[in-house]
Amino acid sequence: MNVASKLPSSAASLADREALSAKPPFLGFGLGLRAQHYDEILNGHPPIDWFEVISENYMLPGGQPLRVLERIRERYPVVMHGVSLSIASTAPPDFDYLQGLRDLAKRVEPKWVSDHLCWTGVHGKNLHDLLPIPYTREALDHVVSRVQLVQDYLGRAIVLENVSTYVQFSNCEMTEWEFLTELSRRSGCWLLFDVNNVYVSAFNHGYDPHSFLEGIPADRVVQFHMAGHSHMGTHIIDTHDHPVCDDVWGLYAAALKRFGRVSTMIERDDNIPPLDELVAEVNRMREMAAKILPRHAG
Amino acid sequence: MSEFARQQNDFQRGILSGDDSILAEILDSPKEKREVLYGVYRHAYGSRLVDALRNDHGLLHSYLGDEMFDAMGYAYVAAKPSHHPNLRWFSQGLPDFLKTTEPYSDHPVVADLAALEKALNDAFDAADAPVLELADMAGFAPELWNTLKFQPHSTSCRLDVSTNAAAVWLALKNDETPPDAVALDEPGRLLIWRQDVTPMFRELTAEEAMMWDEAANGIAFGVLCSMLATYDDPDGAAARGAGYLHGWVTSGLLTGVSSGD
Repeated sequence: MNVASKLPSSAASLADREALSAKPPFLGFGLGLRAQHYDEILNGHPPIDWFEVISENYMLPGGQPLRVLERIRERYPVVMHGVSLSIASTAPPDFDYLQGLRDLAKRVEPKWVSDHLCWTGVHGKNLHDLLPIPYTREALDHVVSRVQLVQDYLGRAIVLENVSTYVQFSNCEMTEWEFLTELSRRSGCWLLFDVNNVYVSAFNHGYDPHSFLEGIPADRVVQFHMAGHSHMGTHIIDTHDHPVCDDVWGLYAAALKRFGRVSTMIERDDNIPPLDELVAEVNRMREMAAKILPRHAG
Repeated sequence: MSEFARQQNDFQRGILSGDDSILAEILDSPKEKREVLYGVYRHAYGSRLVDALRNDHGLLHSYLGDEMFDAMGYAYVAAKPSHHPNLRWFSQGLPDFLKTTEPYSDHPVVADLAALEKALNDAFDAADAPVLELADMAGFAPELWNTLKFQPHSTSCRLDVSTNAAAVWLALKNDETPPDAVALDEPGRLLIWRQDVTPMFRELTAEEAMMWDEAANGIAFGVLCSMLATYDDPDGAAARGAGYLHGWVTSGLLTGVSSGD
């Protein structure tokens, strides 16, 4: 595939880059869109400010999913969140995937496009998992160049999320937050701060989650994720199948104080409860933000 | 190969093949050994992909039960690693796998059932296209009818099965006990498509299946009627052809019609 033909072709695109990399707006308090809630959302008006959609669920030829998404985006701001960008893979980028992502973004006009700081496979295989990376200078240089390429291809700055990890590599040369900070500074990408993932990784690797929180530059964070997990005693698995736990609510309060007003959402991927239960969690996020950041409430 | 690439290679190989060499580069955590922590990724790999199969093949899961479905699923995962970034397409090869892999190949109803579920899944998110209406047909003068050619709807698909998988599917869908699997004397000819947002299927007679397949090949209505005449009463061939065509149009199975060569 000819990569050059897929890059922005004119000098004007460079001038546009500044506008395209403008900081995404504050959207309020949202929810991950799931098929189980389609009817309830479309037939009612749940008090949710915006929806995040899993990009791959709509990278399809046609049918009901895309039709529903068209109707959702007529009523709510939408953000695209992918799981297969594999930005940290050392394999060549999948340009067919990128083209599909760009086509969907053109159709949906999301407020931003996000994915994860991870890789999903090499040698043409896809493990469909958010795999960890060593926090080395070599990895950082590689990921910076990949982010720049993807941003040029998509014509917009992307947003990258910290993932939950279960292992740490012995050859790390910096912390995860130092890596994310450098990545954002050098590539211009924005950061999605997953509060639950910070909690999970901090527990799994034995560091204070507040060190992570304090180590991330406040002006680069444009979104929070809130989610639940499964505690295995000696480690935590990021299952996204439980309500947000008290400790993560506590870390959210600290994140509000550190980062201020940030678009925030509940991300439930499994064991999907009735919409009301998730709306209650969205309301709790909203109320906590109103208390902690009274001047920005609403 | 860079050090980073080498490390990813070893990490992936450890998940896919059970090789433990990557463990030498991973730390124990304060509370858990590295084998257990890395094992989270090993376990998640298979279970996530089998979950995807369960999601795409809910009725096959009901038919086989948890234990047999999981054994089948893990065998498929081992034989057919995912090469597509979208999990939606992982199960595409399952019917062929079941058709060609023992012990599943000894029970052809399993592959047939998987093929029917796959066809319905594919219809669910197939490309949208206009639906031909009866009014669109009314515009053609009678003398043009023999030259009409029909374009199947983008969601439509034909499937031949060698077993009573359609009856099994229907029973499972209605939460009823499925009939015993039997081999059919002649293939079951199924037509699958999407009506609005709902995937559907129905069984065709040999005659209607022939007409559908040949219409999809671009054969004009007049020739189709001549072909129908070889299946049954030649005098009624045109009426039967018009009847099938009416059914296709009212079911939303066609997207276009044109006259001429």
